[in-house]
Amino acid sequence: MNRPDAVTLPRLAGSAVRQASGVPGFWDGLPLLALVLGVLAGGVGLAVGDTFTLNILGTAFLFAGLSSAWNLIGGFGGQFSLGHSVFFAVGAYTTANLYLKLGVSPWLALVPAAALAAAVAVAISWPVFRLRGPFFAIATMALTEVALAIGNYWESMTGGTRGMSIPFRLGAGNMIFRDRVSYTWIMWGFMALCLIVSLWLARSRLGYYLRALRDNEQAAGAAGIDVLRAKLLGMAISAALTGVGGGLFLFSTRVTDPTSILSLFEFGVKFALIALIGGMGTVYGPLLGALLLIPLESWLRAELGGVLPGANIIVLSIVLILASLFLKRGIMGALQALRVAR
Amino acid sequence: MADLLQIVAVGVLLGGTYAVVSVGLNLIFGVIRVVNFAQGEFVMLGMYGTFAASVATGLDPYWAAIVVVPAMFVLGALVQFLLLRHLQTEPAMQIFATFGLLLLLQNIVLAISRGTAYSVTTPVAQVSVGLGPVQVGLSRLIVLIAALLVAGGLWLWLQRTMLGRAVRAVAQDRRAATLMGVDTGRVYMLTFGIGAALAGLAGCLLAPLYTLSPQIGTNFILPAFAVVVLGGLGSVGGATVGGFIVGLTEALAGYYIDPALKHAVLFAVFIAVLVIRPAGLFGQVGAEEVGLREQA
Repeated sequence: MNRPDAVTLPRLAGSAVRQASGVPGFWDGLPLLALVLGVLAGGVGLAVGDTFTLNILGTAFLFAGLSSAWNLIGGFGGQFSLGHSVFFAVGAYTTANLYLKLGVSPWLALVPAAALAAAVAVAISWPVFRLRGPFFAIATMALTEVALAIGNYWESMTGGTRGMSIPFRLGAGNMIFRDRVSYTWIMWGFMALCLIVSLWLARSRLGYYLRALRDNEQAAGAAGIDVLRAKLLGMAISAALTGVGGGLFLFSTRVTDPTSILSLFEFGVKFALIALIGGMGTVYGPLLGALLLIPLESWLRAELGGVLPGANIIVLSIVLILASLFLKRGIMGALQALRVAR
Repeated sequence: MADLLQIVAVGVLLGGTYAVVSVGLNLIFGVIRVVNFAQGEFVMLGMYGTFAASVATGLDPYWAAIVVVPAMFVLGALVQFLLLRHLQTEPAMQIFATFGLLLLLQNIVLAISRGTAYSVTTPVAQVSVGLGPVQVGLSRLIVLIAALLVAGGLWLWLQRTMLGRAVRAVAQDRRAATLMGVDTGRVYMLTFGIGAALAGLAGCLLAPLYTLSPQIGTNFILPAFAVVVLGGLGSVGGATVGGFIVGLTEALAGYYIDPALKHAVLFAVFIAVLVIRPAGLFGQVGAEEVGLREQA
């Protein structure tokens, strides 16, 4: 409509220009992604039978996916959402209610769950995107609080403060398995999906728009980018994936209540924290962060949690503070700096 | 009518609580442009400090302010010097750092107290005062009066003293203040220290009213953000009025809509104001932008 022709013209020549200039596209990045996913799948294969390791791997994959999803808008787009647990919960409750009340297979229910999470995200973000930086973060944090109040109040959907549980009815169609390895594979698949979307976004026009507006919103707008549209699109994709993750999470644990699923630390902030440790605005940063942080966390919980309450979180919060001081661009940033130095 | 008066009284008293919790947050925000997610934990530390002091000495908990307030000043100045000083131009990292501090303080207290809930006792808590047709607890009334005194005192200090002028100068334009000979590094430390000390004072005043738990700070931080944003960033008077708006909204929504939804209503109002007028009801338009502008 009001977009100048100068912006639409190169779209036709996009791939040709990119090839000529040597900018890597989506397909150039795919072999490496396939290799990484293959190695991780090999790891699952090695761990079969070891329930403890499988659980940790499954959780790490889930959070790698969720953090990658957050990273789409939080890292690439610089929109510091602390409210992604809301979309996570919307996805989880949509999947569960469709299954419990209408008998829809959770696999199918993930589609409306993703759609609803994206719709909620767009409806919420439309006004909130007027805010920037810390104000955006505070507003999204407040949204978590609103969602928590609604979740506790709306008992027919969430079970209220007593929570809800998914009855144990074995069956692949119900997404309920006896063995843990199936869940690990499901989470692997979710992670693969999120990483593919990340790679696509990183190399796509939308991804460049998001990075441009992250670095300077006014300049991006002046260059002809429809800033609000780019943010909303990024947020919708991010929330849709987060919603899928929510559905998968609920079916792998089979029990939750609003206070735990909307927990600021367990989900909302952890997505961001993992991305920070790994490297915000990079494709592989959230994966690295999750592979490092989730095992560390469960090890700390096992070693320290019983000895001294909260000791595991003390260590994690120190990691968080140190990372904010010394590892601002995450592990990926540190690796890049090493490569440049050499 | 009597109902309405009672609700308004509850709302005003709650507003006093929120105002006293927010005044430090707003000072830190207005001057240093740091959104301190750990401010609620400073209040929590103040409460535990009060408990420890009153148990150790056997004196009334209100006396604990003499120790707790200076101790919190030192802690705040240290946090600014060791941590936030290095993150002045990086809002995203400030969020991580102060959120990390929130988790750290909460869980250190949890580890030390091992999750035991404490309560602070004072004879003052038993007394209630009749104001016309409504009865209010004396300890809540003290909070309200203290909130007004603190806001007034802070305003006077900012307006009338040389140091207060320096603080305001730094808030308006850091570089120009430096050129006028203001030691901005010292002003930042001082301001953060005062902000933390005010949170400690709030902790002292609120300790008799709540059962102490390590997570109690999170009950204060979101309403406090709402107060700061509603009232106006960096405006002492605005923060006080904002406190009453939030307190009254919460009380009215709790009575007329549903107690379970009072927080939802409160934050819906908060987000609406944030979106319609990001500088707050009494803030200078554009103040929220200044906070994000890089200050070299």
